[in-house]
Amino acid sequence: MKTKLPKCSDVVRHICEQLDADINSRQCRQIKRHLEHCPNCRAYLESLKKTVQLYKAFSPPPMPQRLLIRSKIRRARKAH
Amino acid sequence: MSSAQQHERVEPSILRQAAEGDERAFAKLVHGYEELVYRFSFQVCRDRDKAAETVQDTFINVYRKLKQFDGRSKFTTWLYSIVVNNCLMKRRRGKLQQATLAIGPTEGFRDEPLRDEDGQVIQTVPSWKETPLDSVMNSELKSLLDKAILKLPMDYRIVFVLRDVEGQPAEEVAKVLKLSVPAVKSRLRRARMFLREQLHEYMKA
Repeated sequence: MKTKLPKCSDVVRHICEQLDADINSRQCRQIKRHLEHCPNCRAYLESLKKTVQLYKAFSPPPMPQRLLIRSKIRRARKAH
Repeated sequence: MSSAQQHERVEPSILRQAAEGDERAFAKLVHGYEELVYRFSFQVCRDRDKAAETVQDTFINVYRKLKQFDGRSKFTTWLYSIVVNNCLMKRRRGKLQQATLAIGPTEGFRDEPLRDEDGQVIQTVPSWKETPLDSVMNSELKSLLDKAILKLPMDYRIVFVLRDVEGQPAEEVAKVLKLSVPAVKSRLRRARMFLREQLHEYMKA
């Protein structure tokens, strides 16, 4: 019996929730097959991965006044 | 290895000594975790002064509550809960927003895709351009990333940062926010979709 492949909307929903999921489950194998034939879902998946990568790569500026903050924490602790 | 796992290295004996009032042990605790608290706070509030203030408030709370930490959860999970409470208090709100999140339609997306004469799907969803990451990320993009994430309701934002940026497992995120795992997954899915839509206009090739 031929298994019905998931629709684009199902694929998008799945990859949005399971971006880093195990790709060997039955559902993931179907998603993988869909992705092989669908440039739209591939483009969506890549853009979603890029979104996460950009936020991961965004390094915060160095922490300001580190020593002052440590000393404030010490003072607050002693006053407690 | 997630950033939190990298920091899960302060010995349990240090935690115990700090809880008993040992000044040097507590200083070790602050030195060991201040970067994690600062980075997480910054990712959530996108403001370095507010993030630094959160570091201060968090460790004062840690000192007050450390005796209550029973070691049943990971220390980082407990610590994240305190940071989250501090972030929320800075917004003068006692609890998480229960806001809905409106996500716009995806450009070029059709559930019945267009096909060429051979039956091959024609790409209608634009690909994104190649963008260098981190050190050479331009200020326009940085500003866009800030604006986009600040539009997310706080509970969605915290889920996204903990799960995707800090690399915490969904189960730990659920414990920090006192949500169910399916609720965390649902917020994560919507947060990712929302941020992707916010960046799309700038990022499309």
